[in-house]
Amino acid sequence: MFNLPPPEILLQLSLNGALGGAMYGVAAVGLSLIFGTMRLIFLAQGAMIILAAYFVRALFYGLGIDPFLSLLIVVPVGLVVGWLIYQGLFRKAAAEEDRNVSLLIAVGLMFLVQNLMTVIWGGNTAGVVTSYTATGIELLGVRTSFTRSMGFLIALAGTGLVMLFLRKTIVGKAVRAASEDMDAATLMGISPHRVNAIAFAIGISLAGAAGVAVATTFPFNPFAGFIFSLKALVALALGGIGNVTGALAGGILLGLIEAYVQFFISGGWTNAIAYGVFLLVLMFKPEGLFSRPYKKA
Amino acid sequence: MANRLLEISDLEVAYGDVGALWGVSLHVDPGTIVALVGANGAGKTTLLRTVSGLLRPKAGDIRVSGRSLVGKAPQEIARMGIAHVPEGRGLFRQMTVLENLELGAFQPRARPRTKQLLEKAYTLFPRLKERAQQKAGSLSGGEQQMLAIARATMSEPSLLILDEPSLGLSPLVVQQMFSLIQTLHGQGVTILLVEQNIHQALKVADYAFVLQTGSLAMQGTGAELIADPEIQKAYMGVLE
Amino acid sequence: MSRALQWIAVLVVAALALLPFVPGAVDAYYFSFLFFVFLYAIMAQSWNLVAGYGGQISLGSHAFFGLGAYTTAILWSGNYLWGSLYDAHPGMYYFDPVTMLFGGLVAAVAAVFIGLPLLSKLHGDYFALGTLGFGEIVKVLFVNGGDFTGGAFGIVAPASAFDTLRPHYWVALGLMVATALAIRALMRSRYGLALIAVRDDEMAASANGIDTLKVKVAAFAGSAFIAGVAGSLYTYYIFHVGPDSVFDLDWMLLPLMMTVVGGTGTLLGPILGALVMYAVFDLARIVVPDYHPVISGLTIILAMLFLPKGMMRLGVMQRRKSA
Repeated sequence: MFNLPPPEILLQLSLNGALGGAMYGVAAVGLSLIFGTMRLIFLAQGAMIILAAYFVRALFYGLGIDPFLSLLIVVPVGLVVGWLIYQGLFRKAAAEEDRNVSLLIAVGLMFLVQNLMTVIWGGNTAGVVTSYTATGIELLGVRTSFTRSMGFLIALAGTGLVMLFLRKTIVGKAVRAASEDMDAATLMGISPHRVNAIAFAIGISLAGAAGVAVATTFPFNPFAGFIFSLKALVALALGGIGNVTGALAGGILLGLIEAYVQFFISGGWTNAIAYGVFLLVLMFKPEGLFSRPYKKA
Repeated sequence: MANRLLEISDLEVAYGDVGALWGVSLHVDPGTIVALVGANGAGKTTLLRTVSGLLRPKAGDIRVSGRSLVGKAPQEIARMGIAHVPEGRGLFRQMTVLENLELGAFQPRARPRTKQLLEKAYTLFPRLKERAQQKAGSLSGGEQQMLAIARATMSEPSLLILDEPSLGLSPLVVQQMFSLIQTLHGQGVTILLVEQNIHQALKVADYAFVLQTGSLAMQGTGAELIADPEIQKAYMGVLE
Repeated sequence: MSRALQWIAVLVVAALALLPFVPGAVDAYYFSFLFFVFLYAIMAQSWNLVAGYGGQISLGSHAFFGLGAYTTAILWSGNYLWGSLYDAHPGMYYFDPVTMLFGGLVAAVAAVFIGLPLLSKLHGDYFALGTLGFGEIVKVLFVNGGDFTGGAFGIVAPASAFDTLRPHYWVALGLMVATALAIRALMRSRYGLALIAVRDDEMAASANGIDTLKVKVAAFAGSAFIAGVAGSLYTYYIFHVGPDSVFDLDWMLLPLMMTVVGGTGTLLGPILGALVMYAVFDLARIVVPDYHPVISGLTIILAMLFLPKGMMRLGVMQRRKSA
């Protein structure tokens, strides 16, 4: 057995894990929305995040726009792109309710985006280095990086806004209704295409926000997206598929698991243990770890 | 003919290759309660689901105030003023009672007046006001059925379609349900009612159609059918 | 399959089998092209068995392919099977049927092991997600397997190169034909009927006395066996088996794509899809080398938008739409 390290280290681990995990969480929130209305596992979500990261990088090095300021561009662009992706690629398959077709279109989109990025920006690892990249701040008595904390704030704000939209606006309520029972929703006069398109628009704009967080924190390459999609799926399963706040919590939990495994066991095992937890949750608690009563079967 | 609210002619519906309805024609006049009765599997629910667009007909026509709705999507049909309370109620169980009601007025026609419509619904269903912030799934069966009907009236439909509203409810609640249907009727709502509770249904109905294994077997006013010996023998006998 | 089609199939297979005797054919580019088409067609059949006929979308085929490849490389490099016989016959493991059978069996055993809990608990998308997670776990296990699996580098089989691609070609062709025939026979048996029944309506199948879990796990294991043998075959082609090469997601994604493009749940669809899609990819690789993966992605999207039922279903009327 290993000795328990001092509490400062545990706190440091927890903080880093939570901050990193929030990014999985925000990706999972997008997946959760899209899965909710379309029952589609949108595997291209990670690729879209990396695309947004490259976009942020281009804005920074090309036009000198600060990465965090570029949120004002990336998020609205994401809304439009998400809307267009649904209308152009998924609308027909959604109408025919053939989910294999939708899944494969998502896979095709992932290939396409990954390789377009390779063609445009090359396959090497890229990053965004600003004047404050190396800046640290003190949080709960522990030092952590400024950009990571900003990424965490972006994730919280993004999820919060989505929650407000879903709970407070009638269109948001329509999206929730459609996720629960699409047939009943159409009887209320709700158009499936409209809620699907909204889910996609929000999902991709969240990918944009996550892209800002990734660009400022991690080095990335065109093929990093798939792992991100997988991690987001794990976060989604941990939080309960279709549960938006649960998705964020699931991401943070996954970040914690990864941080602890890396420290106590070995970096090489983080993925295996993360997916192991994923399988166990899928099998024994498919409604997620944070489920509330009256979940649909 | 001109002022028929709902006019169904020679409707044929099939699930894959299996036929469910063969050439059914029926109509609903404005301001009436029309009952559609028949045994299990006669095709009643299939007919309702076809009217509201959840199923596509193989042949035949369905017109609402003269406009055909064949080929239209359910949300378009809902916006034409048809409110369908499906079998099993179709409530959004994880959403609150209030949210369910708000969604009932989702369509553009009703949405601006959500507040007034909500007040109206609460006067008719005071129980729902008390439960406004509860999850729909936490209500009792009778309350859930009330909510489903209240939600449907939130769109001020020209035709209210009810599929088995008394299913699974206690006799007392069934009585409440039928008196509620009559109240709605008194307010001028046109109702198409599918029921297995044939005696009760025929009692409140102005006119009724009997469906038998996918075809129309009989029609007449509610009073005529109640008195019909064949109906009595075939359906009333099996009533508990 | 109609009689005429059967004869055409026999003639095509016979022509393909005789191709290596044509002077110069072995050195021609299309020879290795055909080898890969056969390999992918086998993988596509494997996916089609569990997903097309069985209705369970698996996203873990690459794990079974990799298990087959590793099993072959480990048995061979460690000489676990033939002992002293191997010293006398250095070519003993090369296309050795027993070794290849082990490749398939290890994959099948792993499939039963993971399939029992997954299939009894998970349905639809959850099963798909579960298999995806399983694939990643297996990959990490092999990366961390120490000397036994060669770690991140993998294992190099004790043969440096092959001097001809002929045996690969024949074995691949033979396995492709055998797989197709076996699945054809299977789908005509009682078991095949049960599998279709479970796919179309699991509750009804269960009510009719079919042990649905057993049927699904058997299809999953059968699919894994086929993928494992394909992985074994691939080992004889690349010799160096590493986690990034044989557990690559492409071994799952490409066969899946090929099957869907060709026609899910059909016997010839996977073969046709493998031929057409691999031709598209390969052509793109030659003509526009920088953009070829972009074109692959684009092809999938276009195929799904305009040919969602696959090529084999082009002629079939859309009868199912009326309800």
